[in-house]
Amino acid sequence: MDLDKALDIAASGMDAQTTRLRVIAENLANQDSTGSTAGADPYRRKTITFENRLDQQIGADTVRVKQVGRDASEFPQRYDPSNPAANSAGYVKLPNVNSMAEMMDMREAERSYNANLAVMQTSRGMLTRTIGLLK
Amino acid sequence: MSTIPTIVVTPAAAADAYGRVDRGEQGSSGGDFGATLQRALQGAVDSFHAADAKTVEALNGGGNLTDVVTALSRAELTLQTATAVRDRVVQAYQDIIKMPI
Repeated sequence: MDLDKALDIAASGMDAQTTRLRVIAENLANQDSTGSTAGADPYRRKTITFENRLDQQIGADTVRVKQVGRDASEFPQRYDPSNPAANSAGYVKLPNVNSMAEMMDMREAERSYNANLAVMQTSRGMLTRTIGLLK
Repeated sequence: MSTIPTIVVTPAAAADAYGRVDRGEQGSSGGDFGATLQRALQGAVDSFHAADAKTVEALNGGGNLTDVVTALSRAELTLQTATAVRDRVVQAYQDIIKMPI
């Protein structure tokens, strides 16, 4: 039944956005995590990509997390000779996490989650009203 | 003077109906309906078991919440369908029972 499938598809979307939010939380929590030895690399920002997947059991396209990767961009540096991670010139590598970008990403995840939730509520309501016809 | 409505039953039709009952013939879909109902109820029971398993799994720390929500809403919808069908069947049965013969 298509309404039933819609429930499953929306659930997969909510699942994917949950993982996305987890990755964002990791990035935000680690935005100040520097290395522990001199010149060591700090926390590298994680990225997430999604892909569609044909669910054989329900016969519909669902979404799933394709890969949680790493952002290969350069680390910003700050002059801080007292930091244990400072190199010989006194510069510390900082994580390549941009809190603004993460906040926007979080908003997007929230909106997408809500959209999937709305699909779920709508299909449930349609099913309930159809069953109501029997009464 | 009002006329009393009468049901005209010819002897041939009565004999035919009696013969059908005597031979134990069922309606064309009598057995099928029972089987369908049983399948539907089995499906309902299966979905309750699935919802139960998912809930226990989530309470034990495994699984995820969306699975529990979908499994429970599926079970709830199946239960609603089952009760609606049951009400209709019981109502039809009562209608037949109360039918003046």
